[in-house]
Order: sequence, then structure tokens, then C-alpha cells
Amino acid sequence: MNLKLIVIFLLMLCLGSFALAETNTVNKDSTAVDSIAPPAPVTMFKAFDTPNDHGHSITLNWQLSADDGAGQNSVLQYQIYRWVPYLMDSLTTLRKAMTTVKEEEIKRGHEKVLKKEMRSLKKEYNAVLKELPSAHKAYPNNGYWKEVGKVPAGTKSYKNTGSKEKESQDYLPDLTDFYYRVDAVTKDSTVRASSKVFGPVQCSGQWFNTGRIPVLVAVILFTFLTIYFVEKAKNGAKLYVRPLSGIEAVDDAIGRATEMGRPILYILGLGSVADIATIASFTILSRVAKQVAEYQTELLVPTYDPLVMAVAQEVVKSAYLDAGRPDDYKEDTVHFVTQSQFAYVAAVNGIMLRELPATNIYMGVFFAESLILAETGALAGSIQIAGTDQIAQIPFFIVACDYTLIGEELYAASAYLGREPLLLGSLKAQDYAKALVIILAIIGLIMSNFGWTQFTDLFKVAN
Amino acid sequence: MGFWGQFGVWLAALLTIGIISFLYKDNFLYKACEAIFVGISAGYWFIVYYWDNLYKKFYLQVTNHDLTSWERIIPWVGFILGVMMLSRLFEKIGWLSRWPLAFIVGATAGLYMMIYFVSNAMAQVASTIIPVFIGDWATIIANFFIVAGTFCGLVYFFFSKEHKGAFGLASRVGIWFLMITFGASFGYTVMSRMSLMIGRLDFLFGTWLGMIK
Amino acid sequence: MKRQIPFALVFIFGFFTIFQYFVPHESSEWVYEFLLDWILIIGIFALALGIWSLWRVSIDKINNRRPNWGYSYVTLAGLFLMIIFGFTAKNGDSWGYYFPFVIAVLLVIIMLIQTIKAKGQSKILYIGLALLFLIISILIGYFDKSWSIHFSTSEGLKNTMFQDFFDYILIPILSTMFSLLAFFIASAAYRAFRARNVLATILLVAALIVMLRFNFYLPGAEYFARTSTWLMNVPNLAANRAIVIGIGLGVVATALKVILGIERGYMGKG
Repeated sequence: MNLKLIVIFLLMLCLGSFALAETNTVNKDSTAVDSIAPPAPVTMFKAFDTPNDHGHSITLNWQLSADDGAGQNSVLQYQIYRWVPYLMDSLTTLRKAMTTVKEEEIKRGHEKVLKKEMRSLKKEYNAVLKELPSAHKAYPNNGYWKEVGKVPAGTKSYKNTGSKEKESQDYLPDLTDFYYRVDAVTKDSTVRASSKVFGPVQCSGQWFNTGRIPVLVAVILFTFLTIYFVEKAKNGAKLYVRPLSGIEAVDDAIGRATEMGRPILYILGLGSVADIATIASFTILSRVAKQVAEYQTELLVPTYDPLVMAVAQEVVKSAYLDAGRPDDYKEDTVHFVTQSQFAYVAAVNGIMLRELPATNIYMGVFFAESLILAETGALAGSIQIAGTDQIAQIPFFIVACDYTLIGEELYAASAYLGREPLLLGSLKAQDYAKALVIILAIIGLIMSNFGWTQFTDLFKVAN
Repeated sequence: MGFWGQFGVWLAALLTIGIISFLYKDNFLYKACEAIFVGISAGYWFIVYYWDNLYKKFYLQVTNHDLTSWERIIPWVGFILGVMMLSRLFEKIGWLSRWPLAFIVGATAGLYMMIYFVSNAMAQVASTIIPVFIGDWATIIANFFIVAGTFCGLVYFFFSKEHKGAFGLASRVGIWFLMITFGASFGYTVMSRMSLMIGRLDFLFGTWLGMIK
Repeated sequence: MKRQIPFALVFIFGFFTIFQYFVPHESSEWVYEFLLDWILIIGIFALALGIWSLWRVSIDKINNRRPNWGYSYVTLAGLFLMIIFGFTAKNGDSWGYYFPFVIAVLLVIIMLIQTIKAKGQSKILYIGLALLFLIISILIGYFDKSWSIHFSTSEGLKNTMFQDFFDYILIPILSTMFSLLAFFIASAAYRAFRARNVLATILLVAALIVMLRFNFYLPGAEYFARTSTWLMNVPNLAANRAIVIGIGLGVVATALKVILGIERGYMGKG
């Protein structure tokens, strides 16, 4: 019964689509017979250099044709044309020739003949490129109108963005006179109306992105806030910091490892030396290493990134120096494993099971491996302290570790452990920034409820 | 599948079992897999980075005569900085390696600072600013929770103020919100992780043993 | 001098990249792209240091007969095999004497490892053997024209051995390692079930609701689905936003401290 129903339904679907196709063809025929009156052209057509960019882009604006959405309502789309000299076509021919030579090179290997040919082609190409501005100046001689884009009816602007790469096929040179026009096009593409030609217009790169002024203001404000509080802290002002259990646990954990005579495993994560979370982790490592040196406990720091390894070696070495035990420092305390995520995990898992560290500390950037590491450590019975700014991994650390520093707490931790007023001062600045965020958001909320969106726009940063 | 193809599948199966056996306990097969894995992957990435970084970004640049002489000279700075990294191998001049490190840390710190400032701070503030009291009552309640949750969460991250009184309450509500988030994201991941294991079992029982067709 | 110059470099380049963010002009992009290339070039030298560290640790294990020292041979063999494969490629259809060459090179390395450990006469013996195998490998390399060594054309990457080792050895181990997550997430869930306090209980309840969202056989299944959608869209969104803003400010503050030279923990002393 059901099967029949499906078959009938499918049949009907087919029939329906045939019928639809038929009515469509009928329509098409009828339009060919009807003649459409030419639409009104767009008005107020303007072209200008796209602001706040690196150049190679022109923005076009216009007012809709009177027959777009009104009047005869016959405009379907707008086609944008740019006048290009014939010289542009010789560029295309040269590019094609160069591609052929490249393909030959892949087939035949690097032969001298091909290299020579390529060099002469490139020379010619560059010579043509140099001629482009003067060729454009010759408008309207020795060129033609080329469609560069189209937009559906109802659109009032278009950005003609080209590539900055000279060998790209849509290379758009800077400081060259361009001429544009926009055609309002109807169903019958031969029935159309062209706008007045706008030109000459040139594009160029800007030296300052005015769309990013709010960011500049905010960055300057934040910098001043940080410097102010750091200076204040330097001058001896007492700053309160709330306790962070994860940080206090570090000291206990080192003590525990010493008592048990087992090592401490410090994992810096998969971040590069450039990740700020890794930099925060270095500060924590420095503190841990100093204490480890004092207690003469063993420290293991297997690393994933060789640059991180290099920095971590410096940090640990200095910590041993600070603790007055430079001779106890071993170069292989911090060692490289491999730069492959899961191979690294396999090796660290092995260390956890064989060396049985009393404490595992995970600080930095972690991805999917967070759970494997933390669970293996938990199964091996180690005390575990973690901290990361990777939001997706925090839940796994919370479940499998004894203490977890959540997001910003990791950055705060480096200041805590350093216990230097300078670092603490910046915590105060962060808090003020947060308070400012809350206040601004409240103001914004009130304003947006009254429909004033200008305030919100301040936070939307131009690309 | 030829002999070498079959051999590859058997090898892959053996390695798969070796790694899974770790769940039972550490054993010689796992240790062998681990050693193979570490060695081969280290070599693999060294080769890939050699061709991608040193060959493409340096060798091809400095030998490309289409570029301006400036563009051919500048990669040498990177090369010299790289060689300075190697100074670590010698105790006396090891401090030279701090130059390239300083360069990387400085350049990327500035980069990350701007990226995070815009995408994490400003963009998030912009999306928090929503008209709360518009729409049906369910939307209004949801909007209210979103805004209140965001504020309380931020209060939790205050470090220089004692969390007591109304401030403490807000901070406590904040951490509750955080915990709900972590729970939800944990629950969300469970299923996708299960499918990974199914994929491996499919290889063992399907591709290798041919039990699943 | 040893410390001042690095901090000056941090400041200069940090300031430049911040400045670059506000300058869309092509020339600023040009410099910026070069800086990124430099980082990549430095990276490969750093990786060489890393390989050196791996070598040292392995040699230390072998020479001092530390637990599981035998596996270090496997690690080093894998490492050097891949490096040899990555720089060699066959020219025609046949490999010729390629594999004897690979084995000879590996033997040179093994003999070198033995040399480090050995004392007296056996040291000389191992050095001799290393030289012998070295000569053999050079001779094969010189006379066998069916394959060749490449450092300046990227033929090595196309070496089938290189790809096969990746496909049949690295990939299975990698995906199995990844699949272990299934087991560990189960054990983590079990750990979470023994909720220790209020916060852990909140986490557990939220996790349960989201986990059960697809179970249409349970009573009140629709309720679970709707609640989990609400949890994802409302409290999750709110808390995520708070964390993201917090992290943003934390990163900016830390980066600023690094650039201004207030945070110096990452740079060693002396």
C-alpha cells in the first residue's frame, strides 16, 4: 500500500515537473514575441577609490533605475562595465603562454630552452604592464567595454576588486585612469539602458584605516590603563588579588612530589612560542622550576614545538640559576618529542605510565589531546593542575583534573605566581577594562532598546 | 590489492591493535608503536617543513630572478636569524638565539594583541548589545539570561576585588553559568568522539578481517 | 647587551605589527608578509634543534641502558628513514640499489651510536665500521643512477616510500590515537558522575541533558531536546561570551606586557 503511494507520488512529481517545464517554454516563446520598452538608466552614477584598503579596488554607487521595482518594473539586473584597452588582452595572451611553458616544465623537467623562453615572456609581460596607465589614458581609443560584474535588481552598489598580484588574471593596477558604466538590463538582454560613463577614476592604497579609529582609541586607553596601574604598583600601592585555588595547589603539588620522590611533569601544550597562552605558561614554568630546583625534585618537560623547547630551556635554566643550583640543571629536562599532535600524546602517555609523576601540570594551548592526556594522568593517579584558553577543552580538564584555571585565569596565574607588583598591576587594568565593558554594554543595551544603533556601530570594526 | 597493499593493511592493523592495547596496560607493542610513531612523525614533519619553509620561502625566493633584488635579499635576514637559533648548540654564543626568539615573540605578540582585541573584546561586546525588551516573552527571558549571564561571567573573572556581598553573588551566578556551558559542551562532544572509535573498529573488522562488508 | 637587544627587538617588532594593523597600504602588507616568512624559515632551524634534542635523549637512553632503551633504536631508525626518503627520489621505474643504500646509511648511524658508548679498541672498530658503511653508501649513491638525492628540487616529497610510510604507518597510529578519545570520554563521563560538589553537579546535569537530546525512546524526550537547545543557545552563549571577552583582555594585557618589556619571564637570564 505504502509502496504504491510512493510510486504514485513520484509519478505525480515527474508529471508536475514536465508540466512546469512546458509552461515555462510557453512563457519564453511569448516573451520573445512581446517587445519590452527600454528601461530608464541608473542615475547619480559615481565611482571612487574604495576607502581603507590596500588599493586595487574601485567602489561604484548609483540610484536605481526608475523601472527597477517601480515604473515598468522591467529591470532584472545591473551589469557593470569597465573600459579596457586592447593591451589588457595581450597580457592575457602572455599569461597563457607562460602557463604553457610552466606545464611543459613539469612534463619535461627544467630545461634551459624553457627557462629562456619563460624569461623573455616575463620581460615582455612586465613591459606591457608598464604601458597600462598610458593605454588607459587613451580612452576611448584602442579599447572596448568589458563586463566586470553583475548584481541583481534592487542593488545600488558594486565593488570592483581586483588582485594585487601582477600575474593574476584579474590584476587591477593602481594609479590608472579607469572608466565605468552600469547597464540596467531587462529579461531580454538586448533591451538595456546604459548609464553615463564615469571617469577617470583611480585606485590606490591608504596609509591609515579610518574604520579602525575606535580600535585605536580603545587600544590606547587600555595601554594607558595598564601603564598607570603598573606604575602605581611600582610605587608601592597595595593591590588585592583574590585567591585562585589552582595556583595555590601548585605549591602543594611540588611539595607532594618531593615527599613521594617522584617527578613533576609539565606540559606546555601544542601552542607555538607566539601563542600568548604559551607565554603565560612560561612564567608559570619559571616559578615551578625554581621551586623544583630548591626541593631538588625531578622535572620533566617534553615539548611539541622546537621553539617552545628552546624558550623553555632558557626559562628552566634561569630558574635553577635563581634557586642557586645551576649545577643541578640538566639540558634534557626540557626535551623535544615530535611535532605531530598524537605522536606527542603517545609519548607523553608513555612517560605518565612509566615515570609515574606525582603531579602533572598542563598550561597553555590544548586541542583534542587534552582529554587523552588528562584522563591517562588521572588513571595513573597523579595530582593534576590544568589551565588553558581553549574553551572547547576546558570541560575535559575540569572533569579529569583536580584544579583547572579557566580562560583568563591562566593569564592571571602568571601574574600571581610571579608575585611581582608590576605583573599584578596589569590585572587591575584588566579588571577596569571588564568593568568598562559592562558599563558600555549597559549603555548600549539601553540605547538599542530605543533603536539608537549608532553606539553599537562603534564596536563593529571595519575589515 | 597486491602483496604490498595487503602488507600495508596488516601493518596498519597491528599498529592499531598496538595503540588500543594501551587501554589495558602499558606493553611492548604499545612501546614499539610509540617509538615508531615518534621517530617517523618527527622525520616526516622535518621533511615537510624543509620543503614548505626552507625550500619555498627561502631557496625559491633568493634564486628567483624575476623578483627585485630587495625581494631576493630580504629572505636572507630570516635565514641568518635561523642560523642564530643554532647558536644554542654552543654554550658561549648561545645567547644569540634570543634574537630570533625575540623577533618571533615580538612580531606575533603585536599580531595576536590586535586580533584578540578586535575579535574577542570588541566584537563580543557588539553582539552583547541587543534590544532586550523586544519580541515575545520567551525571547525577552532568553535575552535577559544572555545579558545577565555574560555580566555575571565577567564578574567571576574579576581578580582584584574581593568576591563578597552582591559582587560575590554575581560571581557565583557567573560560575554556575560557566559550569552549565562546560557541561553542555562536554555532552555535545560525547557522540562525535564515539564515532571515531567506530571508524577504527570498522577498519579492523571490515578492511582487515573482512567481517563487515 | 645580551638581554637589552632582545627586548628592544620584541618592542620594535611588536610595535610594528600593531602599527601594521592600522595601515592597509600595500607596502605595509609587503613587509608583513616577509616577517611571516622569516618566522617560517626560523622554524625549520628550530626543528633541527628539536631533532638534535630527540637524538641526544635517545642516545642518552641507549648509552646509559635506561629502562626501555631498545625502543630508542626504533625511534632513531624511523626518524632517519623518513629523512632519507624525503631527500631522495627514483628516476625511472626501478629502485636499483636504493634499499642497500638506505640500510648502509642506517648502519653508519648505528655504528656512530656505538662509537659514542664504546671505549678503547672497540671504539676504533666501530669507527672503522662506520667509515666502511659510509664508503659503501657513497659508492652506491655515486654509481647507481636509478635514483638520486635532491635538496633543491622538491622531488623528495613525491617519493613513494615517503608517502607509503605516511599512509600505512603514521595514519593508522594517528587515527587510532585519536579514536582513544572515545574510551577516555566514557571514563571522563564516569568520573563526572561522581559529582563532588555543587559546581560539578551543575556540570553533570547540563551534560546529561545535552547527551540525552537524541534519545527519543525515553519519556519526556522532547523536553530534553528542547532544554538542550535552550542550554546551548542561552546560558552557553552567555558564559562563552564572558570567557571569550575575558580571554581577549587577558591576551591583550599579556601581549602588551610582553611588548613593553614588563613581562620578561619567557626570556632567560644571564
